[in-house]
Amino acid sequence: MNPFIFNCPTKVCFAEGSSSSVAEHLADLGAKSPFLITDEFLLKNNIIAPALSALEERFGKVSIYSDVPPDSDLECINKVAKNAKDAGADSIVAIGGGSVIDTAKVVNICLTLGGDILSHQGLNAIETKLFPLIVIPTTAGTGSEVSYVAMIKHHVEKRKIVFGSKFLAPDIALLDPMMQLTLPAKLTAATGMDALTHAIESVVCEITGSSFSDALATEAARMIFKWLPVATADGGDLEARSNMLVASCMAGSAFSNAGVGIVHALAHSTGARFNTHHGLTNAIFLPHGMRFNQSVAQAKYAQLSRQLGFSKTLDDNEGTATLIDSVENLLKQLNLPSRLELIGVPKLNESELQQWANDAVDDPSTMFNPKELTVQDAIEIYKRAY
Amino acid sequence: MSFFANTQELEMVMKGLWTAIKEDPDIAGPLIKSGLVVRFHYREPEGRLTVDCSDNQNMVIIWGECDIKPDVEMFMKSEVAHEFWRGAVSVPMYLIAGKIVAKGPVNQALSLLPAIKPAFKKYPDVVQQTLNRTLVSK
Ligand SMILES: NC(=O)c1ccc[n+]([C@@H]2O[C@H](COP(=O)([O-])OP(=O)(O)OC[C@H]3O[C@@H](n4cnc5c(N)ncnc54)[C@H](O)[C@@H]3O)[C@@H](O)[C@H]2O)c1
Ligand SMILES: [Fe+2]
Repeated sequence: MNPFIFNCPTKVCFAEGSSSSVAEHLADLGAKSPFLITDEFLLKNNIIAPALSALEERFGKVSIYSDVPPDSDLECINKVAKNAKDAGADSIVAIGGGSVIDTAKVVNICLTLGGDILSHQGLNAIETKLFPLIVIPTTAGTGSEVSYVAMIKHHVEKRKIVFGSKFLAPDIALLDPMMQLTLPAKLTAATGMDALTHAIESVVCEITGSSFSDALATEAARMIFKWLPVATADGGDLEARSNMLVASCMAGSAFSNAGVGIVHALAHSTGARFNTHHGLTNAIFLPHGMRFNQSVAQAKYAQLSRQLGFSKTLDDNEGTATLIDSVENLLKQLNLPSRLELIGVPKLNESELQQWANDAVDDPSTMFNPKELTVQDAIEIYKRAY
Repeated sequence: MSFFANTQELEMVMKGLWTAIKEDPDIAGPLIKSGLVVRFHYREPEGRLTVDCSDNQNMVIIWGECDIKPDVEMFMKSEVAHEFWRGAVSVPMYLIAGKIVAKGPVNQALSLLPAIKPAFKKYPDVVQQTLNRTLVSK
């Protein structure tokens, strides 16, 4: 057996309505002056109301930043960090999707350590405990509520800046399905596909994966195949919302320990250039990435296919094909676009394609992929996915 | 215990290795093209090595403290560096375990990994020449 490390420092609490327990949890962590980060939709539609009133009851007036854009950027981080500092914040609450949660993680670095944010980028570069951070995810996809990473856009360089450290894992993730009821069908489907991509990619990360990450990823995949179509068709189905929320958190824990792979690398390079949604972009690349990895990862894919009840065959090629078919059928069932062109990615000329492929190959996610990705491979996948 | 008895041994080997890399255009080429300044911070025993390719023409190797601002900094125990150059380190595993710290734009730093892999073959010879020690291959 390969050596492995498995770690999940975040305390995960699930309950309907649990967002209002945030104040109590925060007080337990010793916080006195929390700062709330969210987005405009969630503020205007009162989705954060139960959490906010609990916080105000306990801590008095709470400063809020609610202007976080999808795929937050450096400018936003600097603005929020200044606001939080000026407010004398000693802790952060993030209520939102991956964009809000990643923003909160990076703002917490600025707030705790100070200095230029770019000086903290890197892997394991944060070496001390940060201020208390509680997150309440309002999408079920990114797993950022338990992950050790945060990614922020660098608009000028058209790339994502990576922050990775075990100290970035939030202290507490409050999983409250009531926070998801307003998530539109398309975003439900797209974010859910992000979670499925985490599960499927982490299962084939050979060097860093373990039985722990496999168990979480496999169960998460089972729940997603079953409940994502339900949550997408009926956003008010609390059982489906609950299952998706838990599944995405489990897949988050799996990939935080095992890693993700080329599907994420391709999606990062695409998202940074063309502002495509992370989950949607992953959804398009997922079957292509699996076909690319098939020659080295078919045993793992086939095993997953059997565990999910999609195939019985002991023929790994056949099992893998069935799993890929199941992913493609799920995409159809969810009414998600299956080609890059359909999500607004322009047709790239040779030199643009080369640059896009270079960025994908250089993405840290490729390190965990079971098969090496070359620039030529990435270009071929782009052409097939276009 | 570290393979290197002291900083001087570490310096001899790392300088020797990077000089061998610099003299091999196949390996040095992509590094020079990257234009990056990379600094390695070693501990147990201590050492600093800066590889400066910022002018896209040359590779300048500096041992010890220097004022050049690095783009990327890598921090690790000297033993990890030794194991790395022997080809015995899984970089993803060591990153997850926190044994390697990479500060700066990690995409750029990690993109150089495939470029320097061919230098693994040079390491046993460098160790032989500098420390007169034979490495048993792993
Ligand atoms: N740190 C990690 O581990 C990690 C992992 C994967 C993705 N990400 C990052 O997460 C980001 C994507 O996050 P996301 O997919 O959650 O989307 P998002 O946070 O960008 O949100 C997308 C949209 O959904 C809306 N929204 C969110 N919750 C809603 C709700 N309950 N009701 C109605 N609308 C709602 C938001 O207002 C926004 O307009 C990307 O920046 C990606 O890089 C991070
Ligand atoms: Fe993701």
